[in-house]
Amino acid sequence: MDRVESLLKRPKAYGNIDGTGELGMGFMCLAFAPLIWLQLHTPKDSIWNQKYVLFIWVGLMVAMIYFGTRAIKNHITYPRTGFVAYRKQNRIWTAIVASVVSALSVVGLVLAAHSHRHIVMPVFFIGLFFAAGYVFGIARSGGVNALFRWKWVVVLAQVIGSLLIALLPEDLSAALAYGPSVPAGFSASSAGAFLLWLILYGTLLLISGAISFSLYLLHTQSPTEEANEPANADVQ
Amino acid sequence: MNRQTQTFNELDRVIHEPGRLMIVALLFAIDQCDFLYLQHETEMNKGTLSSHLSRLEEAGYVEVEKTYRGKVPQTLLSLTASGREAFQRYRKKLKKAL
Repeated sequence: MDRVESLLKRPKAYGNIDGTGELGMGFMCLAFAPLIWLQLHTPKDSIWNQKYVLFIWVGLMVAMIYFGTRAIKNHITYPRTGFVAYRKQNRIWTAIVASVVSALSVVGLVLAAHSHRHIVMPVFFIGLFFAAGYVFGIARSGGVNALFRWKWVVVLAQVIGSLLIALLPEDLSAALAYGPSVPAGFSASSAGAFLLWLILYGTLLLISGAISFSLYLLHTQSPTEEANEPANADVQ
Repeated sequence: MNRQTQTFNELDRVIHEPGRLMIVALLFAIDQCDFLYLQHETEMNKGTLSSHLSRLEEAGYVEVEKTYRGKVPQTLLSLTASGREAFQRYRKKLKKAL
């Protein structure tokens, strides 16, 4: 019975077998970082602080991630290990959960930044929160499998990195974000710490995605033209 | 004959075969996939996988669609509504029997 249940979970893990999920997330974090840096370091009426620029930036980012992922899947993953179309119901739930988790983390950051406690600590908690999300991803793709064990090092790096950023002297993190456009309610140190965390998290995810992708290429054979054709003519 | 043995005897024989059970379980979690994906996940050779698929198709549990991805022929496979129902029934009965 357990074998049947584990088989039911396998297609979910297949979605990120090539590391495209991590590559996409990492790219998103690293693409957000320069925009935030520009927003902080330019006057409030500059082009970088206009709302439409944020929408264009996000739109371009999403398009690049979407088409990049599709290109990898269509040209590398599907010809090597096969094509899978997921049930729409599952995709909708995944999108809803991801949106709620992201929204809650942003609200958490804003609330924490407005509180009078240590202003950089929220970054540590956001780091823990996203590390937990990464752990969930490992569990989904078979964390006990030896092929995925190295990902626990990434989790450790995420937690330690977030802690180190939270422990940085405030003037050091403030130096990164010191500018004319620090949003109301945020200090330059919290904005700087958040910027550093985005760069750290994005870099770690890109590295993780690149390792996943390399391991995928290493452990799968490149396709042959007839690989997808069943030998038995009965299957019509 | 005790109740457990009776429940085992009532299990759908088409699905109960380990190879076909693997195929149906994998297809149950998705909308559709190609032949290569099933081959990769089940680690069966083409001939064995084809014969299992033929048996499932005969039973009306699997739908096979021949198409092309660009210029490459592609065999798309999905579970039919009756295949989904049969697998759900099978899971329930297996849980009951265990």
